[in-house]
Amino acid sequence: MSAFSNEPLKDGNKGGFWKKGSGFPGSIKPVYGAQHPPLQMMPRGKEDRSKSSNKKDAFQDFENKTSDAWDDGDDDLLVMANIQMSLRDVQSTAKAVMENHSKQFSAQNQQNAIKDHVTAVPSATSSHGAGPGVGVRLNSGWRPPKSTPIRYTKDVVPDREATKLEKFRSVLAGPNTDLDELRKLSWSGIPKAVRATAWKILSGYLPASVDRREPTLQRKRHEYFSFIEQYYDTRHQEMHQDTFRQILKDIPRMTSLAHLFQQQVVQEIFERILYIWAIRHPASGYVQGINDLVTPFFVVFLSEFIENDVESENFEVSQLPKETLNTIEADSFWCTSKLLDGIQDNYTFAQPGIQMKVSALQELVKRIDVPLYKHLEEQCVEFLQFSFRWMNNLLMREIPLRCTIRLWDTYQAEENGFADFHLYVCAAFLVRFTQDILREHDFQGILMFLQNLPTHHWQNEEIGELLAEAFKLKYMFADAPNHLSKKK
Amino acid sequence: MGTKDDEYDYLFKVVLIGDSGVGKSNLLSRFTRNEFNLESKSTIGVEFATRSIQVDGKTIKAQIWDTAGQERYRAITSAYYRGAVGALLVYDIAKHLTYENVERWLKELRDHADNNIVIMLVGNKSDLRHLRAVPTDEAKAFAEKNNLSFIETSALDSTNVETAFQNILTEIYKIVSQKQIRDSPDDDNSPSNNVQTIHVAPTDNAAPRQQKCCSV
Repeated sequence: MSAFSNEPLKDGNKGGFWKKGSGFPGSIKPVYGAQHPPLQMMPRGKEDRSKSSNKKDAFQDFENKTSDAWDDGDDDLLVMANIQMSLRDVQSTAKAVMENHSKQFSAQNQQNAIKDHVTAVPSATSSHGAGPGVGVRLNSGWRPPKSTPIRYTKDVVPDREATKLEKFRSVLAGPNTDLDELRKLSWSGIPKAVRATAWKILSGYLPASVDRREPTLQRKRHEYFSFIEQYYDTRHQEMHQDTFRQILKDIPRMTSLAHLFQQQVVQEIFERILYIWAIRHPASGYVQGINDLVTPFFVVFLSEFIENDVESENFEVSQLPKETLNTIEADSFWCTSKLLDGIQDNYTFAQPGIQMKVSALQELVKRIDVPLYKHLEEQCVEFLQFSFRWMNNLLMREIPLRCTIRLWDTYQAEENGFADFHLYVCAAFLVRFTQDILREHDFQGILMFLQNLPTHHWQNEEIGELLAEAFKLKYMFADAPNHLSKKK
Repeated sequence: MGTKDDEYDYLFKVVLIGDSGVGKSNLLSRFTRNEFNLESKSTIGVEFATRSIQVDGKTIKAQIWDTAGQERYRAITSAYYRGAVGALLVYDIAKHLTYENVERWLKELRDHADNNIVIMLVGNKSDLRHLRAVPTDEAKAFAEKNNLSFIETSALDSTNVETAFQNILTEIYKIVSQKQIRDSPDDDNSPSNNVQTIHVAPTDNAAPRQQKCCSV
């Protein structure tokens, strides 16, 4: 069983493109996030839980064996093929773990929760050896330490930043980038200077091997523009015109960077990226919100070509040579595709991925913040009413773009970050506002508040705190299969 | 922010539906906050706002659900039709296709909403006179044929926005108060203090304060 059993696709081969078998574009099958090479390729259902603690080793193994061969056929179709790990499995495991926890902690939880509305979970403390993203597992003897708030020093020592950048540079320099190391480093944020390269590698777009990077970029960029040549003219055909019309409607409405999106050259880039993605993924097609997801990639890749003192939102994109714009466009397309592969069931009919995540969020909040959960319940506020958008747009409508970019450093450093870890981030995000929500006494007030959260001023510090909370939750509820087996 | 006052006699749930880009969100923001944004973001899923108005000396609180126009969101948004007593079906007078799709939206309502729902056809963007693609008479005739009330609005210059909401809420109020007279004693809700709840969705904040919600 291999993830690569599908033969590599020939460039520009129309027949090969609409591939037979499980990996067709837009397949409704939940797929494992494409931002990483598949960890285990076991048939579904045969997964041995006791082995999941060896995940890291398995991954190391896999990585060693394959070096960076997984980049060979890194077309998104291939990544989708034969990957058996489903979100549903993850969710059900999480749920089971939660249920166990609730029994264990419920008494304590109730007490804590009543005393302190904000959080009832034990927190991972700084004294704990493992930093976020290190991936060290808690063993069964672990007891929740006393809750200590994690503080982030506001005035970052410049030396530390410089050291961090140095570390990134040496990891990225190769000859083979250690992906594990890169993820570890990236979890707590990637310096602007190396972000574009780091993202391309983390998303699985760029090979770990330095020698192979340039040829890969050449090939993929060529491939993207051959798609455009082949398919872009179909946008006015009856079959596709609804899709294209919708895209045309949405792009000028992307006000997060108003000046940028009023530039025709930018609008056209987005039109092509979105249209090509949509017709290559007919099961979902273009869904409003996907346009937002292209933006961070586009802005990060664009910023590589902008001098430091110019804000990217005020930049006149047409100043750049066509060649450069093409690379930004193609790279944005491929990285967005990789991201969407991991969350495609968010956008297929009836949006099952979102429904599932919303109910998982509800379950989670029920465990970690009883007063909040009860308050929402009493006022008949449904999670779907406010968190649908959180899932559909990955919180991009709720926080400033700069924060989304920082958030995505971590999402890409996490396994399945955009699907699974995002859930914990959403839970941490919600309970962050518990006090405010409890202050609202009726349905209208709560919903209006949740639709317009006071996050405009947010910076990296807030995201750092959010991620630390999310990490704790993940530790507690999903990342501890031993808790489950011990109970049995 | 929405009206916070809890003093109302009636709570009506109303949905805004229609093709993407016809101006639903701006109609809502014009009505509830007197705001208009030429480049407002596309609505994802469903958004919500509220405002109270006076009809016949009674305070009517409108709970308005603004829905995403794109087809893919239909499965999500149609759940919000349940319990709605009114629907503003919006098209863009400058885009004929959005008018052609009105039939499909009516079908959506027939499939998912209550039978008695009051529907108002709204031709928005009436300020775009030079781009008009849908004649007023044609839309009016269509509305009559289908038993809908009809109005043309401009969220941009505020024309008729207030009137549109006022009319539909009044229409709902009349139906409801007549119904109340007809079968008042054994009404399911039997409001103890003259408060009448119309909205019946089991999952929404339907009921006035003292009543337990989620009860139907």
